Amino acid sequence: MAARARARCWPLIALGVAGLLLAAGLAAPQLTPALPPAVAFPAGVLRVGVDASFPPFALDEGGTLAGVDIDLGQAIAAYHGLPVRFVPISFDALYDALLTDQVDVLISALLVNPLRTQDVRYTRPYFDNGLRLVSPAAAPLPGMAALPGLRLAYEFGGTADNEARAWLRRVDDFALRPYELPQIALDALRVGAADAALVDATTLALYLRQQPGWPVQAVPVTHVFYAAAVRLDRPATFAAVDGALAALAADGTLAHILRKWL
Amino acid sequence: MIARLRGPAGRALAGRLWRGRGWAARLLLLLWLLSLIHPAPPRAMLEDPQTVSTMQPLLCVHTRFTDEVHEWIIQRSMQLVREMGADTIVEFFPWAYFEPQPGAYRWERVDLVMRHARNQGLKVLARMGFVPEWARPPGTTFNDLPESSYPAFARFVAAFAARYPDVVPGVILWNEPNLAFEWGFRPVDAAAYTRLLQVVYPAVQAASPTTLVLAGALAPTLEPPGSPAGLNDLLYLEAMYQAGAAPYFDALAVHTYGFTQPPAADPAPDVLNFRRVELLHDVLRRYDDPAKPVYITESGWNDHPRWTKAVRPSQRVQYTVDSYRLAAARWPWLEKLCLWAFRYPRFTYSYPDNFMIVSVGFERTPLYEALRALSRGTVLETQLWLPAPAPAAGR
Repeated sequence: MAARARARCWPLIALGVAGLLLAAGLAAPQLTPALPPAVAFPAGVLRVGVDASFPPFALDEGGTLAGVDIDLGQAIAAYHGLPVRFVPISFDALYDALLTDQVDVLISALLVNPLRTQDVRYTRPYFDNGLRLVSPAAAPLPGMAALPGLRLAYEFGGTADNEARAWLRRVDDFALRPYELPQIALDALRVGAADAALVDATTLALYLRQQPGWPVQAVPVTHVFYAAAVRLDRPATFAAVDGALAALAADGTLAHILRKWL
Repeated sequence: MIARLRGPAGRALAGRLWRGRGWAARLLLLLWLLSLIHPAPPRAMLEDPQTVSTMQPLLCVHTRFTDEVHEWIIQRSMQLVREMGADTIVEFFPWAYFEPQPGAYRWERVDLVMRHARNQGLKVLARMGFVPEWARPPGTTFNDLPESSYPAFARFVAAFAARYPDVVPGVILWNEPNLAFEWGFRPVDAAAYTRLLQVVYPAVQAASPTTLVLAGALAPTLEPPGSPAGLNDLLYLEAMYQAGAAPYFDALAVHTYGFTQPPAADPAPDVLNFRRVELLHDVLRRYDDPAKPVYITESGWNDHPRWTKAVRPSQRVQYTVDSYRLAAARWPWLEKLCLWAFRYPRFTYSYPDNFMIVSVGFERTPLYEALRALSRGTVLETQLWLPAPAPAAGR
C-alpha cells in the first residue's frame, strides 16, 4: 500500500526535478572550466554553512546533522573526493559567514534572492518549494483558474493565504477555507471538507509520507527555488559546486536524496 | 520636440520622420516617450498629529525600515503600529548609511522616519551599528568595529541623539555583541564592548542629556566560554559588570524569546526561554544595580510549521498575549516589551517570515488582532481559522 502511494507521489517529484534541471540548464551561466579541487577549495575540505534547525533540510539530532542539505553537502564533497565540514550557523548569520570566508558554500534551504547577487552567486536550484494546488486524483484540478465554485483549504496567514486571496481577485468566486496549519488544510481536503488545498511542496511531500494511500494530483502554482550559494569572487568554487550539482542531478543522486527525506 | 530641431540636417531628419519612411524611427520615439511615463508613487501626506491609545504600556514592536524604498510603506507601518496600541518601536539605523564619509552626515532618511513617528505619536528606540567602510579594516564585515573607531562611532551616535531628542528616548549601542558574527566574526569580548560604552556614553550625555543609553541587546545563547560562535548572555553580562560597565549605560536591552515554551516556563541558566530576562536582571541585582530599567528589545514566538523552535499559530498568539500579562504583573523593572518583528520588507520564504505581525502585503496576522484587543483591554473572540475537520474515518 505504502509503496503504491509513494509510486503515485513520485512522478510529481520526478517531474519537479526534471523541471528544475530544465530551468537550470536554460538559465545556467557559462561555467568556469573545471579546476582541481585544490583551487576551488583551498582549505582542502568543503566547508558548508547550514542552519540546522529546519527539517527536513537540516536538523541537529543530538549533535549529528541530518537532512537534505547535509546529504547534498556530503555528496558534493564526495564528488570532488574531499572531506566535508558542516558549520552550523543561525539563519541571520549565513551570508555574513560566507562573505567572511568562514565557509565555502551555503547549503541551507536558501531561496534564490536577487538582492544578494551583488556578493553571491547561486547554483542551479536543487528543489522547488513553491505552492502546489492539491486536488483528489478522482476530481483533478488543472490549476487555480478552475477553482470558481469550489472550496480551497490553506494555512491562515501564510504565503498560501496571500496567493489564494490574490487569485480570488482574478477569478470568479471560490470559498476560502483557512486552517491553522497547512497539514490541517490537507486533512480538510482528504476528508472532503474542501475541494482543493494550497500548500508548499515540502508540506505536501511530508504529508504524503504519512498518508500513503491517498491518491491526489498536485500542480505547481508558484516556484520557490532553493539553491546553494557561493561567493561571487570565488568562480572556481562556484564551478565546482554547480558542476557537482549538475552531475548529481544527472546520475540520480539528487533525486535519491530528495526521495529519502521528502 | 522634433519641431525644435534646428539647421538643415535637423529639418531634414524631421521631414523624414514625419513624411514617410521613418515609421520605425517614429515607433522607437513613441516607445521611448512611453517608457518615460511612470505612475506617481503613492503619496504619504502627514495626517493630523495622532496619539496612541493603549491599555498595555509595555506594548512595543521592532520594525524593519532599513532599505525600505517607499515612504508610504513606512507611514502605513507606523499607522498599523499605532492602531495596534503600541506607542514605541525599535528601529535599526545603520551608521554606514548616514555617515558615508567621515563627518558628512546624511539625515534625510532618518528625518523621514522620525517625521512619521512624531506624526503617529510613536517613540523610537534607535538601534545603532553597521560600520562604514572608512571606519573598519578592509575585508571585514559591517559588524567589525575596531577600537580606533570608537570615537567616530561615539560622534555619530551623539549627533543622532542630539538631533531627535523629542522622539528618540534611547539609543541601543550595538546588537547582540555576545555573538561572534555580530562582533565581526572576532572572538566576542565583553571588556572591549564595555570600552565602547565608556567612549560613547559620555558623548551622548554631553550631546543630549535626556537620551538614554541602552546597552547589551544580548542574544539568548548557551555558548560556553571559548566557543567560536559567542558567549552565554548571562556570562557576558557578568563580564561587562566586572569590566566596569555599570556607570556607562542607563538601561539594559535584552533579547528573550520563548521558543517552544510558554511564557510562564521556569527560567534556568541552561535553558533558553522567555523568563531568561529574570536571570539577566539577577545579574544587575548581584552587581548592586537593581534599579536599572530593562527594555526587552526583541522577543516573541514563531509559528512556522517546520522550524524546530516554533509553536503552533494558536500557541503563538496565546503565549505572546500571556507574556505581556506576566511581564506587567511580575516585572516592575521592565519598561518595554518589543516584539520581533512587525513586518519585513520582503518575504524570506523561510521560517523567519513567521515572526512577522503583519505580512509583507500588510495582511494582519491573528497575533496583530490579539495584540490590538489586548491594548484595548478586550479579548480577541473572532475565529480566524476553521476548526480542524473531524478525522476521516475509513477514507
